[in-house]
Amino acid sequence: MTQQMRPSLDDPRVAIPADSTWYEPAPIPQTERQAEFLTLREGEMFVNMGPQHPSTHGVLRVIIKVNGEKVVDLDPVLGYLHRGVEKLCENADYHQAICYTDPLEYVASLFCEAAPVAAFEKLMDVDVPRRAQYIRVLTMELNRIASHTLFQGWMALDLGGITPILWAFIERDEIVDMLAALTGQKLLYNYYRIGGVNGDLNHEFMSRLGTWMSRAAAQIDSNLALINENEIFVRRTRGLGVLDAKTALKMGVTGPNLRASGVPYDLRRDRPYLVYPELEFDVPTRDEGDSLARYLVRMDEIKQSIRIIDQVLHEMPDGPVMAKLPRLLRPRPGRAFGAVEGPRGVYGTYAISDGTDQPFRMRIHDPSFVHLQLVGPLTKGNLIADTMAVMASLDPVMGGVDK
Amino acid sequence: MAWNRLTPAGRALAVLLPVLAIGGGLTTVLLATFGGAIAATIGANLPIVRFLVAAVVTFLISVPVAFLLIYMEMKIIALMNLRIGPDRIGPAGAVMSVVHGLKVLMKEDYTPPSVDVPVFTLAPVVVYLASFMTLLVIPFAPELTSMGFELGLLYFFAIGGLSVVGLMMAGWSSFNKYSLLGGIRAAAQAISYEIPLTLSVVGIVILTGTLSLPKIVAAQDGSFLDWFIFRQPLAAIIFFIAITAEANRTPFDNAEADQEIVAGFATEYSGMRFGFFFFAEYVNVFVVSALFSAVFLGGSNPPIHVDLHPQILIDLSALGIGLPLIAGIAPVLGTLLFAAPLWFASTRVKGWQALIGGFLIFGGVSTAAIGLWAFVMLPPVASLIWFLMKTFALVFTFVWMRGTLPRARIDQLMGFAWKWLLPASLLNIFATAFAVLIAGR
Repeated sequence: MTQQMRPSLDDPRVAIPADSTWYEPAPIPQTERQAEFLTLREGEMFVNMGPQHPSTHGVLRVIIKVNGEKVVDLDPVLGYLHRGVEKLCENADYHQAICYTDPLEYVASLFCEAAPVAAFEKLMDVDVPRRAQYIRVLTMELNRIASHTLFQGWMALDLGGITPILWAFIERDEIVDMLAALTGQKLLYNYYRIGGVNGDLNHEFMSRLGTWMSRAAAQIDSNLALINENEIFVRRTRGLGVLDAKTALKMGVTGPNLRASGVPYDLRRDRPYLVYPELEFDVPTRDEGDSLARYLVRMDEIKQSIRIIDQVLHEMPDGPVMAKLPRLLRPRPGRAFGAVEGPRGVYGTYAISDGTDQPFRMRIHDPSFVHLQLVGPLTKGNLIADTMAVMASLDPVMGGVDK
Repeated sequence: MAWNRLTPAGRALAVLLPVLAIGGGLTTVLLATFGGAIAATIGANLPIVRFLVAAVVTFLISVPVAFLLIYMEMKIIALMNLRIGPDRIGPAGAVMSVVHGLKVLMKEDYTPPSVDVPVFTLAPVVVYLASFMTLLVIPFAPELTSMGFELGLLYFFAIGGLSVVGLMMAGWSSFNKYSLLGGIRAAAQAISYEIPLTLSVVGIVILTGTLSLPKIVAAQDGSFLDWFIFRQPLAAIIFFIAITAEANRTPFDNAEADQEIVAGFATEYSGMRFGFFFFAEYVNVFVVSALFSAVFLGGSNPPIHVDLHPQILIDLSALGIGLPLIAGIAPVLGTLLFAAPLWFASTRVKGWQALIGGFLIFGGVSTAAIGLWAFVMLPPVASLIWFLMKTFALVFTFVWMRGTLPRARIDQLMGFAWKWLLPASLLNIFATAFAVLIAGR
């Protein structure tokens, strides 16, 4: 390419006229809802947030219709992180499918493994050894704490506080490091196997866990003291984005977001899996259903998780961590659904087998996707700043939304 | 060619020496010819010359002040975040902010297409101008006030309010919706908070009967109980909240809320134009802290007047020829004195290392000694140090708030100004006026 052929901004074909107001042609509305959204009334304008924006939790794009500071309408645009995980899983055998589901939710990826593993185990009638079940509970609860502490930092960051996220990362880093000592990975663990887990607890993990447990409760309490009773924080989140129980159930909301609306539904207690029935824990709920309640429910869950870990460490039996299975897994034709209660809600996997060594169809249910549709209804009528507060309190992770 | 073999320093000298020689000669000739006339002109227009000198000095000190504040903010917030912060450039990263300044100078100064070019270019200049012009009336010490004129306080509010025009210009001309929202937020916020800010000091104006900042400082002479923060506590609280909003600092930094509107009015700016906004913010923080310490914390007055009656009387002229001798020998002796313990402390310390260490320690000790001497003996230095201590305590408070608090929402912010601060400042005026009416001044 010679010097002359290189396009310059002065080129009339490339240059943008100084009086232009649209950089791209206005989209033609396809549905009634879209036509209504695209109509601008007096004093309204669109503000495009994302996919590159400081606080959309990854690559979410939100088109906001504002009247001054007030959000009139809101339209999330998804798909910037779509990788076709479900289709990838259909072209892999059962073991390989587990590692494809890992990066769905990169903040708490053990839960994304746990759901397909549960489904595949049902499909194949595998009995998981008790020690492996305990290890799964232990690691999942650790991952839940890591996710919730990070949520606390994010929530504060989206409201403009810069210190809590760095304090939160201290706890998360410690947990992630000890899980790395156990699994060999810091983010995408790929630790659960059909019929057990990959490797027994090792010395480094246990010693780090012991050190951390001795200070965890006090440390997390001191982190919470940073913002829990901060006047500005409470005033900005109380009464904001109120989600009532009826709407929540209708929309398919699960997890802490549902419990913050007063519905005490927790898969660990209501449809028990692994060894959860043998463990003692409470299901924290709040009745308000606002952003503050969603925040506080998660903070209460951290304490329950520490309680569960304490019991698991006392009651863990000896024994194998892996069931005896053939190398090539060929379940009989059938279908199975496995679900676990994650830090964001219910992670589910629906798998159909046609008798080969690959799943015929895999459907992944991710709570972030369900919760993201609430951003619109909960934000309308509030201010631009509230969009961030509501979005942070719903805690979506875009990897799971876009799959 | 000889030029190619020269080092950079040599090249600089080769250019500079002829310039200096010719320039020096020309200046000498000019002075010899028109010296009398120039001196007469300066003498006749002394206020203008004084203003020009003060403005230039103010402009020159505003940039290092911004550098210092940026470094303070980086380091203090890092410590609050349990990080280390800048530690690579200079001792403990002290030169980091200067390098930041050089960085923004060297970056591309990009003007996006379809911005309103003249307004877009002028906006940072207006903002920076408004920030450093307010430094003119700050009474650093009774003897160190650039322009101590009568209407200092009014001048401060008038010029400080100009920065909103710059922010509005930036927001409007950028052709960006985030910028527009940021500019309008800045304007709304600044107008709302100017009112309680101005009304809160009316009580002090009633008490002192003047708008001149040096006179307000002089009215707080005495012990720290005479400071206006104890005589006008409500006004102090209102004033502090209002200057926080005025300087666009957390929790009132809605105009550049990066979680909501990316960088507000500065979204489309890059290079040195962004640098102007950035520096203006920190100069603003310094200025409002200085104003608070002048109006409410006694300015350059010490908390308690302790008359030391220093009796350190050394008649230097009696030494005669011995004075230059002592001045020449003292650094050498001092360096050796401080190098000796380093040299004997460990066999691994080499001689030259010990000498450098000794020289540095001697430098530090002698600087501290001279500073202490100046603090005790020279009233302007003592005043300046008291003033800066109070100002930087306030700057630290601002940084502390930035590290601690989340951001208030825009409607809460405006509601707070109109529903609480404005009535409270009016109440303060009435109470003060009533007290003055009953008790006299």
